[in-house]
Amino acid sequence: MSATLLHLHTQPQVPLEAETLSPATIAGLSELGIEHLQVMHGNVKAKVGDFFKVTGKGTPDIHIEGDLAKVKMIGACMSEGRVIIEGNVGMHVGIGMSGGEILVKGDATDWVGPEMSGGRITVLGDAGHMVGSAFRGQSTGITGGEIFIHGSAKNEIGNSMRRGLIAIGGDAGDFTAVSMRAGTIIVMGKMGVRTGAGMVRGTVVCFEESQILPSFEYSCRYQPLFLRLYLIRLQEHGFEEKINDKHINGNYERYSGDAVELNRGEILLFSG
Amino acid sequence: MPEAAKPKESKNIRIVKDATCTFCGCVCDDMELTVDLDAHRITKAKRACVLGRAWFYEHTLEDRPVVLIDGKEATLDEGLDEAARILVDAKFPITYGLSDCPCEAQRVAVDIMDTINGNIDTTTSVCHGPSGMAFQGVGESTATLGEIKNRADLVIYWGGNPAESHPRHFTRYAVTPKGMFIPNGKKDRTVVLVDVRKTPSTPVADIFMRVKPGKDFELLWALRALVKGKKISENIEEQTGVSREVLDDLVERMKNCQYGVLFMGMGLTMTRGRHFNSGAIYSLASDLNEFTHFVAKPVRGHGNVTGADNVVSWQTGYPFGVNFNRGYPRFNPGEFTTSDVLARGEADAAMIVASDPASNFPKKAIEHLEKIPVISMDVKETHTTRLSRVRFAVATYGINTGGTVYRMDDVPISLRPAFDSPFPTDQEVLEGIRQRVKKMLSGSKARVAA
Repeated sequence: MSATLLHLHTQPQVPLEAETLSPATIAGLSELGIEHLQVMHGNVKAKVGDFFKVTGKGTPDIHIEGDLAKVKMIGACMSEGRVIIEGNVGMHVGIGMSGGEILVKGDATDWVGPEMSGGRITVLGDAGHMVGSAFRGQSTGITGGEIFIHGSAKNEIGNSMRRGLIAIGGDAGDFTAVSMRAGTIIVMGKMGVRTGAGMVRGTVVCFEESQILPSFEYSCRYQPLFLRLYLIRLQEHGFEEKINDKHINGNYERYSGDAVELNRGEILLFSG
Repeated sequence: MPEAAKPKESKNIRIVKDATCTFCGCVCDDMELTVDLDAHRITKAKRACVLGRAWFYEHTLEDRPVVLIDGKEATLDEGLDEAARILVDAKFPITYGLSDCPCEAQRVAVDIMDTINGNIDTTTSVCHGPSGMAFQGVGESTATLGEIKNRADLVIYWGGNPAESHPRHFTRYAVTPKGMFIPNGKKDRTVVLVDVRKTPSTPVADIFMRVKPGKDFELLWALRALVKGKKISENIEEQTGVSREVLDDLVERMKNCQYGVLFMGMGLTMTRGRHFNSGAIYSLASDLNEFTHFVAKPVRGHGNVTGADNVVSWQTGYPFGVNFNRGYPRFNPGEFTTSDVLARGEADAAMIVASDPASNFPKKAIEHLEKIPVISMDVKETHTTRLSRVRFAVATYGINTGGTVYRMDDVPISLRPAFDSPFPTDQEVLEGIRQRVKKMLSGSKARVAA
């Protein structure tokens, strides 16, 4: 079955909220059916066909072309299938997804994968703030799945995340893993300040030196076995240039915290 | 500050007792104004601080057209028609400002955005918005300034300089006044000031803690750990600039006071960490309630910015950065806050009420503001009014118009205007726009929830 192709022919003037651009909605529809799906162009109801040329029947495999920086919520609530975005993408990509795969070949903006519980989002470029984070006012971020950012990401990666894996190939902003409940975040570049503030459980790994909050305590220097499995898996997903044998077999300094919370979280800093 | 210039003696004098100053968030309501009704000037403002005197004395009625459309004078009706048309035609209209107008005007602005499915935001998003976000995340142990005046024996100012920004905060509410359980005023209180440098507020403090710039969060987090009896790293002084001994002493004072208060300024909320800094201070106050009574309050800037939070919360459920595009309110700072929306080039029309974003927003945001039709309402000419397609000159709230404002501790206070203005009020202009918007949308382009 060939993929459904959507080509952006008209750039939206204002943000386009397009949660219908998801295998969950498109699969099984005709070309005309897809073109008539509703999107919100600012405060006006519009149709997918007003902005996209659709080629092929609706399948769980969707390719979208064009600069989608103003298009939000692509891949919303998908549980299977694949979405390939051949450029940049707007906010909330993969919101509420529980399965399947999203590949962004350009950059993503803020809130990659909010309310995600399964599946995988890969961004080959950079991402904005709040990757895999809770929305404001929510107590829980992502509860499962994988988010792989090959470039850098900004502040609050994995805010309040409860399970899942987030890997950042470049640098991370401030407050990585803030209020983290569980899960794993691996940063291959530098981290900003205040990593793990208020974290309850979970693991943050960084290949570079990093500032540690005063409420974290140095535990030991060791070779975490579980990390080898994670890193070998990440090598298979395109991070082979960032992850070397020294990272897989090397030592890590472990800091435990956050003391103001349960103190069951850990930050592992690569130390050679 | 000298008294206002008096060109000649006037017999047409009016005394306004218990008038309210709306310059800052203290909203002092014990002013006694002497008004020269012939000259349309306030000649004396008894009990006003240096900022309040400037606010009252420098207020004059300028000779400006009420409405300008594309720089040309127009009638009020023409201005209202054009403003309504701009808003109705827009796909992503935004409203911003609102912190220097009364609640009665604010609620009309919210209704307009609700009607046209727009985006509403206030200056809170660039001052104490982080406190609002933190409040939502971790809760708030709060009190009125009256309660603080009567009970607080430990007062901590963090990241603020009230001596210059809120001159009467010390004398009217928190440091020197005698209270029901603080009979000797300042003598019964311990005042702590935390800042990155010495300021004119420093001499008021019994303890001054100089924190390294950008290390407030680390210091607050260390205090939280110490209050909970947890270990902190040994290099705390190297990290934050404050020694372990000073921290231990402060923790003991905080745990053992009768009633403590943490006041936070924009030195905390608008520096690196923002809502997490505010969250840390709210959490510290909550932690301390295990031992004693402790509250945390933001020291708000604009006269009615607290009212804007209250009105927007009451009408939409959220305090700022609220979007109605889908017919129901959604709150997401960063996505729906005005500086972000403009910097990303998303809005296609803007209504700016009593604010001047064109002078203080990021360059990218201002550049986008210059590209879209802007409707502005302000008492003075500003950078924003100059780039506006439709500009309304309005009367000054508190001096020319009545209404309700909220003090920084969420206490509503009525205004007693000093003299009349030939200009319409914010509320009148907004009401005019609302009527026209509703008329334009009725029966045709009804915007229904998606």
